[in-house]
Amino acid sequence: MTDMERDPLIERVRGTLRDAARADARGAADPQAVGRLLQAVWAAPRPSLWRRAVDAWRSPVLSGLAASAVAAAALVLGFVSRGAVAPRVAAEPTTASGPATGEYPVTLAAHDGADARVATQFVFESTTARTVAVVGEFNGWDATALPMTQVTPGVWEATQPLPPGRHVYAYLVDGTLLVADPRAPKSGDADYGREGSVVMVFAR
Amino acid sequence: MMMPRFAAPIAALMLVSAMVAPAALDAQASQGTPVLTIADARTRQAVEREISRAAQRGLPVRALVAKANEGVTKQATGERIRVAVSTLARRLEQARDLLAPSPSDADVIAGADALAVGVPATMLRQIRAAYPAGSSVAMPLDVLTELVARGVPASNALEQITQLMRRGATPTQIAGLGASVQSDVAAGLTPDAALEVRARGVMSLLPSPAAAAALAPRGQRP
Repeated sequence: MTDMERDPLIERVRGTLRDAARADARGAADPQAVGRLLQAVWAAPRPSLWRRAVDAWRSPVLSGLAASAVAAAALVLGFVSRGAVAPRVAAEPTTASGPATGEYPVTLAAHDGADARVATQFVFESTTARTVAVVGEFNGWDATALPMTQVTPGVWEATQPLPPGRHVYAYLVDGTLLVADPRAPKSGDADYGREGSVVMVFAR
Repeated sequence: MMMPRFAAPIAALMLVSAMVAPAALDAQASQGTPVLTIADARTRQAVEREISRAAQRGLPVRALVAKANEGVTKQATGERIRVAVSTLARRLEQARDLLAPSPSDADVIAGADALAVGVPATMLRQIRAAYPAGSSVAMPLDVLTELVARGVPASNALEQITQLMRRGATPTQIAGLGASVQSDVAAGLTPDAALEVRARGVMSLLPSPAAAAALAPRGQRP
């Protein structure tokens, strides 16, 4: 049975017609049957707004569309309310204020704010390295997280947005050799005895 | 007809997914926990147990995973990695207690770093007390850590930082102080002299103590 067939109004019309048909079968045609039918239809209580909404939801045509629409709306609402569609990196570099040569890492200009990330440029020089990566607390010392690119022969470069604060890092050369940044202050390492480097990141 | 029968459950499922998916993404992004890279099975199990205990105590796990991975990158022995992770867990717990009542993960990690370079435990409490309740103290702790690591006596560093905080210096100004002292020391200035000069520079940009007290919301600053 379809939803249309379960509709109370339709049921009422059907009941009235059935009575009329029975009367007809007994040979007692009722000329007022049509009038009673119209009266029954007119007197049928209108379903509530909630009931009509539920019926619309359950109708074959609308149910699929309504389900998709409500789910899509919930999805958008969920993401927006949690800020997932807002820019998470609040501070993209606007202009590079660091020198082209000299001390590294260079922190680039960024807006201030609680969620600010400051684009920080790392530069390493080696003519013999085949691969170089930046490893540090900010990427869980993952050798694959921040590979450097050889921008000119012997000059390796990578840029990473970092939260303001103190960050310890090192360069991993050819996947095994760990090298502290020769141009940055050393970090010290009481745990493993192999010091890295430190960068203080702050939004300018 | 099949569509009406299954439409409601499918819609409900989609609704639940729609509400849960952003939460899951949010949690993943905020935790950003790296994956353990320890290859040796015994070391890995020992470190995982240590991390599991720390997680039960509500300590920031990502710092411990990073510490273990740092050991792998530095080709440390399994035992040394386990000890390093265990030591960091103790420092994190101590920092959390010192920065009570409600330090963030960033606060706790910064506190543990400060303890690691030799900042006395009582100074963590002093930093916490000098800053409005509920606001992060990660940046002042990072700067204190960096100054002490560069050779500034901890008491001098704390005094300058808390003075700047009381005068209403922003986290950016305090971080700038740390970075400036860092480069001055690298250029050959003594740590104390570098701090003195740079702190005066920041102070000159701030309102006077009386004006700062008048501007501060009542009860927010000591």
